[in-house]
Amino acid sequence: MFAKSSRKPLALLAAAAALTLVATACAESTRDDGGSDASEPFVFASAGDIKTLDPFLTSDGETFRYSRQVFETLLEHESGGSEIVGGLAEEWEQSEDGTEWTFHLREGVLFHDGDELDAEAVCANFERWYNLSGGYQSSNNSYYWQSIFGGFAENESEDIPEPKFVSCEAPEELTAVITIDEYSSVFPGGFSLAAFGIMSPSTLEAVADAEISGEEGNYTLPEYTQKAGTVAGTGPFTVQEWDHDQAAVTLERFDDYWGDPAGFETMILRAIPDETARRQALEAGDIHGYDLVAPADVDPLTEADFQVPTRDVFNILYMAYQQEANEALADLEVRQALAHAVDRQRIVDTILPEGGEVATQFHPDTLDGWSPDVKTYEYDPELAKEMLADAGQEDLTLEFCYPTDVTRPYMPAPRDIFDVIASDLEAVGVTVEPVTYEWTEYIPKTNSGECPLYLLGWTGDYNDAYNFIGTWFSGYNSEFGFRDEDLFAAMEEASGNPNDEERVAAYQDLNEQIMDILPGLPISSSPPSIAFAPNVNPPNVSPLTQENFAEASWK
Amino acid sequence: MLRFIVRRLLQLIPTLGGLSILLFVWLQRLPGGPEYALLPDDATAEQRAELRRSLGLDEPVMVQYLAFLRRIAQGDLGTSLTTGRAVTEEFLTRFPATVELSVTAMLIAVTAGIPLGYLAARRRGSVLDVAAVGGSLLGICTPVFFLAFILKVVFAEKLGILPSAFRLSPGTNRTDLSGLVVLDGLRTGEFDVVWNALLHLALPGVALASIPLAVIVRMTRASVLEVVGEDYVRTANAKGLHRNTVRTRHVMRNALLPVVTSVGLLTGALFSGAVLTESVFAFPGIGSFIYEATQTRDYPVLTGFILLIATMYVFINLLVDISYSLLDPRVRAQ
Repeated sequence: MFAKSSRKPLALLAAAAALTLVATACAESTRDDGGSDASEPFVFASAGDIKTLDPFLTSDGETFRYSRQVFETLLEHESGGSEIVGGLAEEWEQSEDGTEWTFHLREGVLFHDGDELDAEAVCANFERWYNLSGGYQSSNNSYYWQSIFGGFAENESEDIPEPKFVSCEAPEELTAVITIDEYSSVFPGGFSLAAFGIMSPSTLEAVADAEISGEEGNYTLPEYTQKAGTVAGTGPFTVQEWDHDQAAVTLERFDDYWGDPAGFETMILRAIPDETARRQALEAGDIHGYDLVAPADVDPLTEADFQVPTRDVFNILYMAYQQEANEALADLEVRQALAHAVDRQRIVDTILPEGGEVATQFHPDTLDGWSPDVKTYEYDPELAKEMLADAGQEDLTLEFCYPTDVTRPYMPAPRDIFDVIASDLEAVGVTVEPVTYEWTEYIPKTNSGECPLYLLGWTGDYNDAYNFIGTWFSGYNSEFGFRDEDLFAAMEEASGNPNDEERVAAYQDLNEQIMDILPGLPISSSPPSIAFAPNVNPPNVSPLTQENFAEASWK
Repeated sequence: MLRFIVRRLLQLIPTLGGLSILLFVWLQRLPGGPEYALLPDDATAEQRAELRRSLGLDEPVMVQYLAFLRRIAQGDLGTSLTTGRAVTEEFLTRFPATVELSVTAMLIAVTAGIPLGYLAARRRGSVLDVAAVGGSLLGICTPVFFLAFILKVVFAEKLGILPSAFRLSPGTNRTDLSGLVVLDGLRTGEFDVVWNALLHLALPGVALASIPLAVIVRMTRASVLEVVGEDYVRTANAKGLHRNTVRTRHVMRNALLPVVTSVGLLTGALFSGAVLTESVFAFPGIGSFIYEATQTRDYPVLTGFILLIATMYVFINLLVDISYSLLDPRVRAQ
């Protein structure tokens, strides 16, 4: 019965296949690279959807990218730089003892809902944060408040730190005075954090009774954090819609903005978690920009006429020595020998994007406190061999951990970086045993001190040396596994010194001490890149990844 | 039939109970925890401990499991640790996207796979047969992410005729009735939205269809070849029945029985395939959300979503069994 079959289907299939092949072979991209209609929405892809419309409740970087367009903070970082400049406060000063911060607010600043900015509005925000209770006190919902201002008016858990915030007063209409219990070098940088974006009085009134509902382990965020229409800031964009279905946030230009109006009428933030998918979406014209460009994609994108501005470095990658995990690492001579064995310049030259640099200490040179006089450890494999022999460690074997499933701005290719370092260490006679973990396992393993050697780093939150070196060396830290009470005390003393000059000198001294005892080897600072379509005038790129998209426009 | 359906539904209870225990054991064994995924790298040990406590993760597993069962009994699957929204709400927000993608993939697989398999069987040994068998082998062997990459390079980047990401073009306004974009567009007459959605479904649909298409082609081909050799087909031909009658009523009807079963199983498997496809195409469905939840150790989302998917899997197979009985009167009689 199958003898008399029609040849039509076969012919159709063959024709379809041939057409596809011909079309593919002859294809030129039909992507529109030309100018754009001013009303066309600017679409920017981020690595994840935002978590909440209220930035106070999160520590998520993608949420902060959205919130920086909508809310403004008392202080900001300069456009394209890391210096602290005025935000909603035009000027500010601190008391001699560093506990009182006086902010002189801008005149004529309007919130998106028509409220006017004044000192009462600023204090209402701080008082709200200070008096939060219940689920708001979970570190997941108030991470930066707890990190910068300590606890709350009434702490509900022993794990929450004591409050550093004392009061916020409004002696004049446009003057707000914030008092903290003692000086800390996290200020004034702390006032620039996106989590402390100022909301309008009407917003605060509307959300006054909004609770984080549910029992422990089952908290549900209130509706105002999930649905546009309640929150209002003073930023160049207003929130139009958060479409959870499409993982998209739509922002509209705020016409009554006090500064220069936004270049785009509409901006849409959309989540594309996959790195390759983000690049392909840009190449296909589905989006007009994206962040976290892989170093390997920078040149191909540039050659295809895309714009890939590179940020100044504001991060550090280091190889940590956990001195308790392997007793050989407790010997300074061994640590120094390993430092001499690693060719850090090769890592910078072959793996990092252009603009990367070798790090000589545990924070980038853009921060005050960086010292030109630290002990450097030049690449010298012969010296490394000699030092290992002197220490009796010619046959040293070390476990070396690195993560497998992530790239970080400071660590764009963990496997490649590991390969270079491992080959350098083996060249001086060290046997390296690689240990790999997924990121969610990697952090607990390194935090708990289970990895003798490992790669980790940090991107700064604000412009202060303590945000880097204080994080690691202000007390015993199981990531490094050593105790140096003098160093720890000096770090705390420096951080609490309100005199800028003295504090910077103290940080320089601390950097020198740290590099003398060498708890780890600073490897590099890597400049993260961000990509834009050819028809976009990009914003100034920020070393702190705090781009102000109001500066961007269509060409 | 009613007893059959009730019996199958009752089987859900031990199935889901066992699965929930397995899930809890599995989640406990997963390295790391949400306190490492949710807080920044520089969070202190105290902050991580406080987060575990506030999430109730410092309780013994049995206490956590009993709390989970208590909530389930009240129809509450918990709250996502990353978004702070109810798991059920997150599921219902994303499920329509996955349904739309899975239905598209299955439609592509069935409408192309059954005729191709049938034609390959009819012209056994021909170029078409060799191409169909070889192509299906290739379809099974090719990783979805690789196929997705190629499809995007050709149709989105080079030709520029299809979008590479999302479910709708950014800024598209539509009336949302059910979350199913295509269906809603047809009901409200927003045909531009329907067209836009279909364009966005094309590449992920084809990528996701590759494996079921290959299976259906091979299954149909083998089944048809088996059936045409049966006595009843010879008898039908000998009786002088029209060729089309023999093909439709005697060959295809019997040959389709195992194919229908495999379609049911493949539909369930599509949900797991969707995890990767949705991630690669930034298609905001349950697959990409599960992937992200695994990265962030969002235990309530993982538990809730997997239980809901398992429930649906049982229902899909129930539907398959019902359709099976419609196709084969012998099953009805049993």
